[in-house]
Amino acid sequence: MDLHDLTAAYALDALDADETEAYERHLAQCAQCREQLAELNETAGALAFAAVAPEPPPQLRSAILATASAERTNVVPLPRRRWVARGLAVAAAVAACVAVGFAVSALKSGPSRLVVVVKLGPHRGRGTLQVKGLGAAPQGKTYEAWVIPPGRPPRPAGLFPGGEGTFLVRLGGVPPHSVVAVTLARAGGVRTPTSPPLIKTST
Amino acid sequence: MSRQLAHLSDEALVLLAARSEDSALAELYDRYGRTAYGLALRVLRDPTLAEDAVQDAFLTLWRTAGKFVPERGKASTWILTLVHRRAVDAVRREQRRRAESLDPATEPSVEGVEEDAWLRLQRERVQEALRRLPDAQREALELAYYGGFSQSELAERLGQPLGTIKSRMFSGLSRMRELLGEPGTEKSWTSTT
Repeated sequence: MDLHDLTAAYALDALDADETEAYERHLAQCAQCREQLAELNETAGALAFAAVAPEPPPQLRSAILATASAERTNVVPLPRRRWVARGLAVAAAVAACVAVGFAVSALKSGPSRLVVVVKLGPHRGRGTLQVKGLGAAPQGKTYEAWVIPPGRPPRPAGLFPGGEGTFLVRLGGVPPHSVVAVTLARAGGVRTPTSPPLIKTST
Repeated sequence: MSRQLAHLSDEALVLLAARSEDSALAELYDRYGRTAYGLALRVLRDPTLAEDAVQDAFLTLWRTAGKFVPERGKASTWILTLVHRRAVDAVRREQRRRAESLDPATEPSVEGVEEDAWLRLQRERVQEALRRLPDAQREALELAYYGGFSQSELAERLGQPLGTIKSRMFSGLSRMRELLGEPGTEKSWTSTT
């Protein structure tokens, strides 16, 4: 097998595992192939733009950023037990908050003030959830928002990492009298809730 | 917040991501997430698998940004290579989907898809370059890149010797490179590169 010949196939990811390994070993030795690969890679990358690209679902962005952020918070691990205890206290307080179409809750929670706002737009009940003052999710975890229409199972509505600043979650459609909740889930999010809600608001 | 980084080059954003600036990752996603998703969807034909491939690629970017060497290529090329590799790995695991990959009926339609002007321009110019390739070269590139077929699988599928497939892929990519570099395309009006 002449390894110089494999540059185009490598750029197109058209080698099998053994060929890829052999070519990569060769590449480390061959400046000419490295140069050619840089050119062909760029052209192969351009092929990506020829595909029709629909808008990706919004939760993809939030899942990526929540996971990345959770990995970064590695550096400053949060004392988990205290955090959960605080979260549950918050849940109890927030659960009391009820309003029609517009639910606001602001309460003292340790040093930072937790603010939860659910806004429903006029257009087919599309809602957003704003959360401020909820500490960064622990490593390997993310906050997950849920829309729970009356009599229906919870629908995952987006992920956010928590921490400094205000987090905005686009909830999609929020049918009348739904409950909007936030849980702590494993990084990347889950399809059905695996823990009791930290925050629960009626709309 | 990420829009504060809007003036930075892709390469500068990767360097910031290497220092765990998650707003830089957000900005890179805002620039390439949609193209990445379109590519993964084209290869995988399944929104859930496509999302997984894109997520995996962006998290690999996040974890390995420190290894990016700007001299070796553009950051956008690197990102799309990460996405493509993951999509191809997944499609090879999901053999059954591949039989459909030649069927134009399963091609995502452009109708109803809102694109921004830049994306549309990019798509049209690459599609135009593909159209101008000799049929055999275009077929080899499309089956390899969008179908996820390996060169050996292509040789078998097209009933051609492996050497022929290799040379079609090489000539096809080289010709594409020339066509994309011709006047009327992006390079002619971005003088700084």
